Amino acid sequence: MPSWTDVEQFLITGLSLGGVYALSGVGMVVLYRATGVLNLAFGAVGAMGALIAWQAINHWGFSGSGGFWLAYLVAVLFGGLVTLAYGMVFGPALAQRDPLVKATATLGLALILLGVMDLLWPSSGGASRAITFPTDNNTFQIGQISVTYTNVIALVLGLVITVVTGAFLRFTKLGTAMRAMADDREITAALGVPVRRVTAAAWFGCGCLSGIAGVLLADLVALDATTLTFLVLSTLAATLIAQLRSIPITFVAAIVIGVITSEATPISSISNYRDMTPFVLAVIALLVLNRRRVISIGRQGV
Amino acid sequence: MYHHSARVRLSLAAISVTGLLVLAGCGSSSSSSTSSAASSSATTSAATSSAGTASSSGTSVSTSSCGPKPGVKATGTPINIGTIDTKQPGTDFSDGPNMITAYYNCVNANGGVNGHPVKLFVEYDQTQPAQVAAAAKKLIQTDHVVGIVGVFDLLECTVDQSYWKSLGIYEMGAGIAPECWSTPNSAAVNMGPRYSSDGAVQYGLSQHPSKVVFVQSNVPGTGYIAAGPAALAGAAHVPITELTENVPINDANSVALDLVNKAGSGGWVVLNFTPPEALVILQAAQKLGLEDRVKGWGCSTPCNTDFLASALGPKWNHKLFVNAELTSADDHNGPEMQLYKAILKQYGQSVAGGIGSFSQMGFLLGKFSVDALGTVKGAYTIKSVNDAFKAIKDEKTELLCQPWVYGPYPLHIPNNADFTTTPENGKMVTAQQCFNISSADPQIAQYRAAAGTAPSTNPPTS
Repeated sequence: MPSWTDVEQFLITGLSLGGVYALSGVGMVVLYRATGVLNLAFGAVGAMGALIAWQAINHWGFSGSGGFWLAYLVAVLFGGLVTLAYGMVFGPALAQRDPLVKATATLGLALILLGVMDLLWPSSGGASRAITFPTDNNTFQIGQISVTYTNVIALVLGLVITVVTGAFLRFTKLGTAMRAMADDREITAALGVPVRRVTAAAWFGCGCLSGIAGVLLADLVALDATTLTFLVLSTLAATLIAQLRSIPITFVAAIVIGVITSEATPISSISNYRDMTPFVLAVIALLVLNRRRVISIGRQGV
Repeated sequence: MYHHSARVRLSLAAISVTGLLVLAGCGSSSSSSTSSAASSSATTSAATSSAGTASSSGTSVSTSSCGPKPGVKATGTPINIGTIDTKQPGTDFSDGPNMITAYYNCVNANGGVNGHPVKLFVEYDQTQPAQVAAAAKKLIQTDHVVGIVGVFDLLECTVDQSYWKSLGIYEMGAGIAPECWSTPNSAAVNMGPRYSSDGAVQYGLSQHPSKVVFVQSNVPGTGYIAAGPAALAGAAHVPITELTENVPINDANSVALDLVNKAGSGGWVVLNFTPPEALVILQAAQKLGLEDRVKGWGCSTPCNTDFLASALGPKWNHKLFVNAELTSADDHNGPEMQLYKAILKQYGQSVAGGIGSFSQMGFLLGKFSVDALGTVKGAYTIKSVNDAFKAIKDEKTELLCQPWVYGPYPLHIPNNADFTTTPENGKMVTAQQCFNISSADPQIAQYRAAAGTAPSTNPPTS
């Protein structure tokens, strides 16, 4: 069994990992609540934005701290524009389709982007890339390990996005319109809500979030197209635990997943199975929630 | 009620899609994994030098020296040679066969082989055994090739061994699978993941650590690779912990922390991953301030890239020690290295990676096969060509630590002496000149018992 020191150390790395999942998870729930689309291309869009930022920093002369943040801005805009373009072209056609069709359609976008990234930034010939935040060099000590301010930014950003988007969806006219549209597009349109404009705002906002998360995750996890694209898998578990509804629960679930995954690392007998953590927790959560629903319906029937 | 049921439906849908994604992820993961194993060998000293450029600056050797009759085009009947190589998203080894073709084109433009041009028939596969087997049959039955040279491939040695044996073919390649080194009908110019990991662990052991922690991708075949480092550590009476990690790695911080904790302050951590995976672990260690909490870090050949050295930055200067199978094109510029660069520049436009391990291995395979073909008297048949390949011995080259040999041995590990490199301000530089991989690895011992220990050409001529 790991010692308390180990538990403490892995708790810190787990919080960092949870922050990573939370960043993506919150972005996905925001779009779902606004458009009813589970965006499985979230990771791929962010990955491509991050690779464009890397290209800008290393080959387009975006040097220095100013250049870095400019490159970051390019990545965020890329995310916003690509997602907006997808939403505007395919969104109307998919609006009345089954949720599974909508989600699968975004999977198509993910696979196309993955192919493009493999073509433009091949990993053959020993190629490996990295993005380093200026804040990576600023650290403070907790116990025996250093914590970078990038980790802190990720965690705080996750929290801020959670609070801000939650408030946005709840208290603003545009947010209310987005939620209404996600529930019923036709009725919302009949009530005079400018559907196309609201949808565009939702897609663009989600895309920007994927761009923000992409560059941050490129630093915290890896600047690798496949890794970032499929990071959505672990994130998806957190969103399912929150039933694609609650942004705060998504955040908490992501943190719990990160901590449990991390704490399992030093335990040899389960270490190689720790990647299953998100899915095991998601299945347990769905079973429990479904059981509650059965009991609830049963009581209503009585 | 409606909303709840819609949400449950979506949850079910999401689970289904997750399943789909998991499948896709598994595919990708296995692709990564295989690529991990792949680069453990085929990437060899991937881009040891300035990757992406085929510059031959400082070159004084003309490409015309690649053939016997400078400027005279070979016009005889072509000698058909075949190769099977992996080319798929994430694992593209096409630079290897492209460089062999470049070498052959150079030879063909300068007299050919006994007046015959050499033609390379290339078959690509996407890691499907049936496809690899079919490619072998096509090469023999349709293209009428008389020899197999290249096989920058994940599966080829495993799939086609018995077929080659039945035909009397002795392939030369730069493969990945264990059969590329452990069978009578295959000899490689690269070292492969096991012996490269041996080299990395051996360097670590020479620094007298209290413990070695060896970690690699969790893919099929890890047991075969891990057996080598375990034997070396056992012979040195140093405890070793061998771990596997699922790839791609999402929680590099935890992985790095676990490795450092298991190694302890006097320990040595050795990685056997593709460059991207190794990079995330090393960067995580750096961000957590762990790089100095062990005695040292090692890595097998895939880490020997300037990409990695550049991404890591100066904090890792002389802290990470990487096994390198081929001579650095930065550090050496003798006549043969100059010829390699000149051929790459003039004939290697399709070699996307430019100077690097794939093109170096392609150059060696082109050279060795042409030298052997030149010894054939009479017709070029499967028998005459493969007898010539099998008879290759004492092929001195500036690009390897020792002369290369094929020979009639039950196994072939002709590249069993390596360099060690280390990052230095964004470049990989030589930290240790040629050294023999230890015979404590029973496979190396078995090979040397059969073939002997080739004298090292250390330091390589320059």
